[in-house]
Amino acid sequence: MPAKPAYVASLVIPALIFVSAVCYLIMPLDSKPILPFWEAGLLISALTILTSFAAAKSHPAKAVPALAVDLFFLIAVIFLIYTGTLDPSFVIKRPLGLGASFGYNMILPFLMLLSSILTVKDLLNIHYAYSAKGREALVFMAIRLSAVVALLILGGILFIIIYKGIGIISWEFLTTPHRRLGQAGGISTAIVGTFWMVLGAMVVSAPLGVGAAIYLHEYSKSLGLNRVITIAISVLNGVPSVVFGLFGLAFLVTFFGVSLLSGSIILGLINIPTIILTSQEALKSVPNSLREGSMALGATKWQTIKKVVLPSAMPGVLTGIIMGVAKASGETAPIMWTAVTFTATPVQTFFGVIPNIFQPVNNLDYHLLNLIYFLGAWDVEDHAWGTALVLIALVLGTNMLAIVVRNHFRKKISW
Amino acid sequence: MLYIDHIDKGFNCECVLNRRMGLPKMRRYKDRFVEAVLFLCAITSILVMLLIFYFLTRESLKAFAELGIFSLLLGQKWHPAGDIYGMMPMIVSSLIITLLALFINIIIGVPLAIYLSELAGPRSKAILKPSIELLAGVPSIVYGFLGVIILVSYLQGGFDMLTGRSILAGSILLGIMYIPYITTICEDSLRAVPSEFKEGSLALGANRWQTIRHVTIPAASSGITAAVLLNIGSIIGETMAVLLVVGNVARIPSPFFNVFSQGATFTSVIAGEMGEVARGSMHYHVLFAVGFVLLVVVSILSVVADQARARIRKKFGGY
Repeated sequence: MPAKPAYVASLVIPALIFVSAVCYLIMPLDSKPILPFWEAGLLISALTILTSFAAAKSHPAKAVPALAVDLFFLIAVIFLIYTGTLDPSFVIKRPLGLGASFGYNMILPFLMLLSSILTVKDLLNIHYAYSAKGREALVFMAIRLSAVVALLILGGILFIIIYKGIGIISWEFLTTPHRRLGQAGGISTAIVGTFWMVLGAMVVSAPLGVGAAIYLHEYSKSLGLNRVITIAISVLNGVPSVVFGLFGLAFLVTFFGVSLLSGSIILGLINIPTIILTSQEALKSVPNSLREGSMALGATKWQTIKKVVLPSAMPGVLTGIIMGVAKASGETAPIMWTAVTFTATPVQTFFGVIPNIFQPVNNLDYHLLNLIYFLGAWDVEDHAWGTALVLIALVLGTNMLAIVVRNHFRKKISW
Repeated sequence: MLYIDHIDKGFNCECVLNRRMGLPKMRRYKDRFVEAVLFLCAITSILVMLLIFYFLTRESLKAFAELGIFSLLLGQKWHPAGDIYGMMPMIVSSLIITLLALFINIIIGVPLAIYLSELAGPRSKAILKPSIELLAGVPSIVYGFLGVIILVSYLQGGFDMLTGRSILAGSILLGIMYIPYITTICEDSLRAVPSEFKEGSLALGANRWQTIRHVTIPAASSGITAAVLLNIGSIIGETMAVLLVVGNVARIPSPFFNVFSQGATFTSVIAGEMGEVARGSMHYHVLFAVGFVLLVVVSILSVVADQARARIRKKFGGY
């Protein structure tokens, strides 16, 4: 078994190849300058595998074929690059009738990626003498790697939206309506419209959801009814948002027209399962001793619930409601034909506070959708990034609030 | 059971007490009234579900009756301008997108869940877990926007495609989009496995990976299965992101495994075409029929996910 530093050093070169190959795969860079390094790296990798296998104490026979295949692959790649078969003009044109070609700048980094992974696999296995421990190290490395990839993707999404969108955000962008089909001006009508629609959704869904949860957990004695309602909730939770949109179009729009009211009701209905489920969890966490204590003092069932159970379950219920706000502000499909229009007119209000609920309003999601449709035709990309940033800030901000509320009270309340 | 008996007794005692002590009747009526209102709230979800099914059936009945169920479901062509409607193109594209997206989703999401529950230190877990939950909230339209700007142009350039809007783009986008969902549910069910199981396995000399593979994951299988089934439902039902990157051309890809061609899913067809159809036209009714098929498929999936979870839990005592 080679010494520890030698083993670590032998992993450096495949790691470098891996990282550079990923970079080349993602970005269209010119691979001319790095080509010699890749060739040398592959050669060194192949030699390291051979020498460490020779230096290892045990030489299990079952390992030899796999090792031979891997070495053959490495040498084949080196050969392909060295002889110039794999030059920049190399391309596999639309194989098997696929609508895509695989060119040099895709294939080469991909081969490099594969070789570096094979090298690491073999080196680890040889180091641990093909024991279970080697497999453990290998799998954990893969798991860590894939966790890193996932986090990079998710973090990258946030980063790019903030980076591209922050430039356009200004007081003016937030407080003026859009002009010239979104090429100028701001998104104030979208923000105000979203606010009213989400508020309406919560007015519909919060009482219904919390009430349902209370009935299911505190009153209902029939297991059959509970079972049916639970199934209904899980089905409702899975109903695609676009189907809610169809439902709204067929049902609500015939009564209320394309309006704020229709949109609020639909978003409210979408939220009901979330709120019921979280509220039920919260009610479950209230210990029975509290209920019994209250009843023993002569309170009626409703008094107990109102004065004892609900206040204790409030943090959980509140978390559910805040999550509902975030969910309602991120939905586009259900309101596309039922509640919104790409308007720059401010929401009509009575006495400045009560909105006219029978008018269509603008909405952040719908605003962004329209800007995406305009992308090719007009110069709206900056405004689209800005809208996306505002939307993300709104949704993630409310979600963060929900998490903070939950954690805060989780620490504070102990039974 | 014990607890229900307990509450019942308490409730009866209270009624008896009220009667004996002659408490005002008003209070009893108020209690009854509140209970009735709460009952109405509780059956709202049943009502809404029934209403959704009723309206989708009603609006799509005409399409099914006039075009025939089988010719509508299995028709190979979707050509609204010529009043030719067949859902096969959507079924094929949706199937390919769902499978590919699920594959991407699982190979990235499940390792992330294993990392969070088994490998991460307490501090990195304290940061990572809430941030992943947070990312589950990113609206689909934002993913669609990023897909149009970044993913589509990358695929177009990298693979020399006619247009980057393709089944592949949709799959990749959906696969990434639902990573937080699968990770959260899997992580919860992995963490719910009692530590005695793991400790027992470790004490027998298994290493950590052997423990995870042969003890923790099988014990958490009900949660993981439910997560996957729920994710299938979400992926089929996701609309905006897919609409923007899939190209929305309802044609069976040729050859059928050609993921680089444009496609159209159930949702993208509805969302893309519903805005332009005349109310009451055949096209309108057919789009409702597409929605109805989607609703049936997704509802079956959610019920099956529930049942699977219950059954596996019963069988293996999973978590």
